[in-house]
Amino acid sequence: MNYRRYDEVVVGDVFPADPLRFEVTQAVVDSFLEATGNERRGKDAPSMLASVYLVDLLSARQSPPGGIHAKQSIRFFRSLKVGETISIQARVVEKYIRKERPYVVSDFEAKGEDGTSVSSGRITSIWGKDQ
Amino acid sequence: MSADISKGAGQLSAKLPVIVRPVDQARIDRYAAASHDFNPIHVDPEFSKTGPFGRPIGHGLMTLAFVSQMLNEWSDGAFDACGEIDITFIAPVFAGDVVEVTGEIEGKVERDGEDCLRVKLLVSAGGRQILAGYAIQPVGA
Repeated sequence: MNYRRYDEVVVGDVFPADPLRFEVTQAVVDSFLEATGNERRGKDAPSMLASVYLVDLLSARQSPPGGIHAKQSIRFFRSLKVGETISIQARVVEKYIRKERPYVVSDFEAKGEDGTSVSSGRITSIWGKDQ
Repeated sequence: MSADISKGAGQLSAKLPVIVRPVDQARIDRYAAASHDFNPIHVDPEFSKTGPFGRPIGHGLMTLAFVSQMLNEWSDGAFDACGEIDITFIAPVFAGDVVEVTGEIEGKVERDGEDCLRVKLLVSAGGRQILAGYAIQPVGA
């Protein structure tokens, strides 16, 4: 895989270029619930399934391995339904170096097929070591 | 905060539940598979030796999944529909840790004209504070 270098990341970058589509399948939900020790079952998916679609989203940044998740804000606007497909996209809003660590701050939004917001928030990551 | 603040206007209890989740490398590996996050700092002991922690760490978003479970238990599932979290990870979770998650109500806040409770999140493992931050939950949602 071709990884991006930190100095190639620019405030204003949108990733991915076209919104990422994520299908909320029962298998994805079951795997997530099992891995997190959550015994809840229902027709709604857990909101923090966001942690799965955010990883897919962050993969679209092509950041090198070894990065660290430093901060996270997220707001949920409605329940997530098993069987629906959402689209997610993010934009780099800030870059900074602190204690010699390179940070990237990105805002994201996830929308349902009807265009309604499912979630939005901000991800602050420490960029992995350039390859 | 007194109990009547949260119980008066809505259905939220003044006392938040405590959930406990043991974390071992097998759980980290299962979470990696479930989330598609195979960052080697989580799943590759050799790679992790070269990183800032010297050994694999649990996914921060896995810890947030535990936090959301606690908030959903407290709010009877309402967190999934309209909750909010804002946190900073301040210490890693290692294999062998037992993560304990709870919170305490800090007070009432208004969000988009709606009364909400602000909850200070309390997340620890092995005596270390894992994250700092808060949740917002509408009262009566």
